[in-house]
Amino acid sequence: MRNLHLIPLILFLMGSVTVGAQVQHTRELQDTLSVSGSTEVIDQKSFSKRLANNALEVLNGQAAGVNVTVNGADRMAMLNSVRVRGTTSIMGGNDPLVIIDGVTSSIAALSMIYPADIESFTILKNAAETAQYGSRGASGVIEVKTKKGTGGGFQISYDGNYGFERMSDYIEMLDAPAYVATAKRLGLEYNDGGYNTNFFKSITRTGGVQNHHLAFSGGSEASNYRASFGFMDHNTIVRSNDYQNLVAKLDVTQTAFDGRLTGNFGVFGSSQKAHDLFDVQKLFYSAAVQNPTFLDGPDAEGRWRVNSGASQINPPGLLLKEKNDAKNLIFNTHLRLTYAIIPDLKLSVFGSYSYNSNELAQFCPTWVWAQGNIYRGEFKSEDWLGNVSLNYRHMWGIHHLDASVSGESQKQTATGFWVHAKGITNNEFGYDNLGAAASRPYGGTGSSYADPSLGSFMTSITYRLYDRYSFSATVRADGSSMVGEDNKWGFFPSVSAAWDVHKERFMQSQRFISMLKLRTGYGRSGNLGGISSYITLDTGQPNGLVSAYGSPTVTMAALKNANPDLKWETRSTFNVGFDLGFWQNRLVLTAEYYYSKTTDMLYEYDVPVPPFAYDKLLANIGSMSNQGLEIGMSVTPLMKKDMELNINMNLSFQKNRLISLNGMYNGMQMSAAPVTPMGYLYGAGQKGGDNAVLYQIVGQPLGVFYLPHCKGLVDDGHGHLSYDLADLDGNGKVDLSDGGDRYIAGQATPKVTLGSNISFRYKNFDVALQVNGAFGHKIFNGTALSYNNMASFPDYNVMKGAPERNIAGQNVSDYWLESGNYVNFEYLTLGYHIPIKSPFIRSLRVSCSINNLATITGYSGLTPMINSYVVNSTLGIDDKRNYPVYRTYSLGLSIQF
Amino acid sequence: MKRIYYISALILMAVSFASCLDQDPKDQLTEEEMYDNATNIYVNAVATLYNYIGGSAESEGLQGTGRGVYDYNTLTTDEVIIPVRGGDWYDGGFWTNLYLHQWTENDASLYNTWTYLYKVVMLANKSLAMIDKYDYRLTEQQKLVNNAEVRAVRAMFYFYIMDMFGRVPVVTSYDTPHTEVRQSGRSEVFRFIFEELQSVLPYLPTGKSNKEGNNYGRVTAPVAYFLLAKLALNAEAYSDDNWIDGIRPDGRNIFFEVDGNRKNAWETCIYYCNKLAESGYTLESSYAANFAVNNENSSENIFTIPMDKNLYSNQFDYFFRSIHYNHGGAYGWASENGPCATLSTVKTFGYGTAQEDTRFALNFWVGKVVVDGKDVVLDNGTTLEYMPLEVKLDLTGSPYEKTAGARMAKYEVDRTAYSDGRLPNNDIVLYRYADVLLMKSEAKTRNGEDGTSELNEVRSRAGMSGRAATLENILEERLLELVWEGWRRQDLIRFGKFHQSYDLRQRISGEENGYTTVFPIPKRTLDLNKNLTQNPGYHS
Repeated sequence: MRNLHLIPLILFLMGSVTVGAQVQHTRELQDTLSVSGSTEVIDQKSFSKRLANNALEVLNGQAAGVNVTVNGADRMAMLNSVRVRGTTSIMGGNDPLVIIDGVTSSIAALSMIYPADIESFTILKNAAETAQYGSRGASGVIEVKTKKGTGGGFQISYDGNYGFERMSDYIEMLDAPAYVATAKRLGLEYNDGGYNTNFFKSITRTGGVQNHHLAFSGGSEASNYRASFGFMDHNTIVRSNDYQNLVAKLDVTQTAFDGRLTGNFGVFGSSQKAHDLFDVQKLFYSAAVQNPTFLDGPDAEGRWRVNSGASQINPPGLLLKEKNDAKNLIFNTHLRLTYAIIPDLKLSVFGSYSYNSNELAQFCPTWVWAQGNIYRGEFKSEDWLGNVSLNYRHMWGIHHLDASVSGESQKQTATGFWVHAKGITNNEFGYDNLGAAASRPYGGTGSSYADPSLGSFMTSITYRLYDRYSFSATVRADGSSMVGEDNKWGFFPSVSAAWDVHKERFMQSQRFISMLKLRTGYGRSGNLGGISSYITLDTGQPNGLVSAYGSPTVTMAALKNANPDLKWETRSTFNVGFDLGFWQNRLVLTAEYYYSKTTDMLYEYDVPVPPFAYDKLLANIGSMSNQGLEIGMSVTPLMKKDMELNINMNLSFQKNRLISLNGMYNGMQMSAAPVTPMGYLYGAGQKGGDNAVLYQIVGQPLGVFYLPHCKGLVDDGHGHLSYDLADLDGNGKVDLSDGGDRYIAGQATPKVTLGSNISFRYKNFDVALQVNGAFGHKIFNGTALSYNNMASFPDYNVMKGAPERNIAGQNVSDYWLESGNYVNFEYLTLGYHIPIKSPFIRSLRVSCSINNLATITGYSGLTPMINSYVVNSTLGIDDKRNYPVYRTYSLGLSIQF
Repeated sequence: MKRIYYISALILMAVSFASCLDQDPKDQLTEEEMYDNATNIYVNAVATLYNYIGGSAESEGLQGTGRGVYDYNTLTTDEVIIPVRGGDWYDGGFWTNLYLHQWTENDASLYNTWTYLYKVVMLANKSLAMIDKYDYRLTEQQKLVNNAEVRAVRAMFYFYIMDMFGRVPVVTSYDTPHTEVRQSGRSEVFRFIFEELQSVLPYLPTGKSNKEGNNYGRVTAPVAYFLLAKLALNAEAYSDDNWIDGIRPDGRNIFFEVDGNRKNAWETCIYYCNKLAESGYTLESSYAANFAVNNENSSENIFTIPMDKNLYSNQFDYFFRSIHYNHGGAYGWASENGPCATLSTVKTFGYGTAQEDTRFALNFWVGKVVVDGKDVVLDNGTTLEYMPLEVKLDLTGSPYEKTAGARMAKYEVDRTAYSDGRLPNNDIVLYRYADVLLMKSEAKTRNGEDGTSELNEVRSRAGMSGRAATLENILEERLLELVWEGWRRQDLIRFGKFHQSYDLRQRISGEENGYTTVFPIPKRTLDLNKNLTQNPGYHS
């Protein structure tokens, strides 16, 4: 019976072995493919024990090559942070495809699914596995299987937890006495409001989080259902920042005609409300550098004070009065009918519809913005998807054949409208009465419509011999409305092979090795994630309002250089790997190497003006590579009736390289700038003056620090120290601009990431610990650069210790570039299965968790867990926008009747 | 057999998919729809270009925004300075470098300014192509006037391009292959602009552009006259293909065909100045009227950027970025406490002397500031006092770090303005008649005639006593009258002073040959077009 215990373990690591065991009609095609792939399945056993507010947190650290940045409570940042094997495209389309029960979905939808509704995640990374999703799956696929009726009669379960969050660390600035003393010592004029306020404390609170989830299911093998209802309420540690989420879900399965027809029907609905922060960076920046002698609130005369010289900040308490609210409604439904024409031939028809509505509302009161600022916007999309497939599966003797053809069509209609208004005389209405605002300036009001469509055909064949050798091939054609007229269709083949060595006769004699499989694959896929509808057309859009014929008139113009020759960005992936198990799989090792190359890469290339009117042209020219090694290890050193210890670990080594951004377009040599700034520092004195730190440089990984070199600190002649920057090119002049005295000082994305889970069970007690880490990358500590700058004191407060460091300067340089290595203890959970003998209660478990236990790092800033994965302007730059570090303590209860 | 049905069903689906991939945008117009009748051809081929005279983004717009044409022509001179004020206004040394003439070919703002200016040129070229393509929807006359107006706008942008960058490509067709984009000598570009303006003049509307109505904001004939006068006045510099050899052509030997007569540069300038007088422009009795909130009826303004906080998105940032935080705060706005008058400017105005020019108080805030009858106070309760004589390049640590310098007061404060005062109703004045009088005075003087009456017409309006029309007095008068209006760089270059030491600025090494009188072609532009070469003095 030992092997039974192993199932979850193997599930977690391989998928490939056990996927076959959980065969579903709908998954047959993929089951066979995944034999030769490296599909990673994360099943609920590996995440159900912890406190997770959403499904994305669950994914974090669980699978090699999958990164989720869970930085503070910034929901949007988290939604944009999910990466599978890094970044493969510059323009976009790096978000993995999320498929929930076969329905194309989004990371936003995934974040709304209640973790307790999830049966398993399956991560598809190689081209051969993602082939069935074509271009949509170019950046990896996260397949989510939700729980269905088991057919085992009526069941009901409740899962819930309650927790609270406390700020555990923040940046210590000078307190009021030190602020005053420092200003006096330096002979600087300062304002003394007479208080001593810690603004980090004043903008935060003890946050609370609660989750409740109720599910019931019933029916028989032939006809069953599962319905669930979940509610989440999360008040973060920052006042005015909270989230609520309500989800409902129903799945019905029915078989008919002697089991020849199977129908699956599902609906999922969720409603989420978010009170986000309007300007995260400004809030935390203001909280840090606000004069600590001021009151957190209006003074006796009703004024919110701020040093008038501190033009880049506002009183933090006022910033909390800004509103940035979102309501997100998702409804989707799907129906799948599978009919066995003959036992070996099945026809499957699948249709799905999703509706997504996003309502945004922002309000900036007149206290912060002269005349105020109000914004309302609604963005809705409808997605229709139809898929017809024919699967043939036959076994004769030692042969096993699986073949399928399918066609798919997807159509989206996305509409939006929005209004900006200003000119309000009081702040009572918030954003609820736009009519009270005097002005809706040009450009602030608009509406949009887009209807991209996608069509695909696929045929695939898998052949297995002796149940040992497996070979499969897939060819698919994807057509998109968004690409150029002559390039609508892209063809993307893939092949893969696997060898189950352990099943060979020569392996049977030994007992040492319990599993050995080798696999390899190669495939291509297309990506259009970075572009939008109508981008190939030379169309006219409003470009402004002028006086024409004596009256204000909106005029039209092309707002971009159109490229009618746009085509599919293509990614080719090669992978090879093995799975190796010893001692009845008490020790399992897996390894996979992959190399992927993106060609015809979409990028907005610089083009000469003139003859072009605009300086950018979207074209397919460049290339980029990603390669890596993913290693998984699972050990079960202890496995007894009362005691079990499991250690799982995954390590990913990853290397990205931007190979080229040069090439010919219509006889013209096109290129990107040799160095292109991507990320800048913000704040006082930093506005647009040689303050870029993060760059995109051909030949380097995406996102490298390209900085002046600081030789040390020197006396600036005014009683302070300043950064002594090196004249790297030795021309006698220190030039800090892009092409000047700068060098490549490190990369922003980790070279190695670690995810590790240790679980221990003793009788009815269980303990789980998740440890994640990242290594080999750098972080630019822009927060420290700003908060140590004595030149901005006392307008802006400085960090504790800054007066002693005595630096007056704001030049960016490698002085504040630090190693970002860290190991973080994500959570520790202690659980107890209460052994109740009751005819009604089948299982009862209580647990307690601490999330965000501790971090081991040499990084001097608040936390090294900033955005180190997503290539955007914040990548690798710690710049005053971090949430204070907080810890969550929670209690959980799980009952099954 | 069944299988065949299914397969054929799939093939059928295939056919239907393929046709689904066509695009028919609903929220955008096709070219055919954009130019579907004569009215829309005017709106979308001609009027559309006027969106780019002003701007709301950095480096976009001829005036009103930062890091663009205006800053490169103003912050590089003895007229205005943005000192480093502690943690503010360092910005990587950008502003200091402008003042010290230490800009480089790598400056992003310079590249953005280049692409802004040429964008308008290329959009104008496209408009010309569209007017041609859809000319069957126009009468002959409509075609001529549409074509003329677009070319006039294009010539105006070439004027700014040539003025800043010297040797630049003249591209007149929308489909010019990139391989044929080559630089012309400065004199050739200059001649092209001049002749374009002359040849479209007969077809331009004759009305006043600064007044609301049919001609509001348009390049009408008077605007073209003004440009022709400016071009002629600067003909010496603009005809100089090698501006670092120390030899400059003499305006008396530069000739133009003007209405069938051959005239030298100065005569030409005078001719077009007279045209403006004939068009009915006169000095306003009050200097301030030109910059009032409702300045659309000024009899002096020739070309303005229309401003209306509820309609147009054109911004005017200069007031916002100049005044002290608490000064802006008194109006209920934020502000940036930046640019101020240089010491030499303050002295030229006779600040603090008995002979202080009346225009000083109209153009600058100095000393205490009273808003709504109350002194503006600093945080510590003391009264805000602007200190014009405390200006230094780096004020960090100075007791006047935040208060040194006279601040911009040129335009009447529009208390109803939006966006912290950046969206006021005062139209931004680009060209006005006082400049025409001073141009005429200067052209006469340079031509050996007496320009005193024009000079003193301007001075007497300001209540100042008459002066002799010497070149020195004229340059000084241009500062007094036109301070912070965007002409200073051009004026200093014309008078040979731009590359000398002045105010707090020491001449930089190598500058004595005058290479800084023309900006470098941005490095990025050179990288993208190997046909282009760098201007002399800037290594590339």
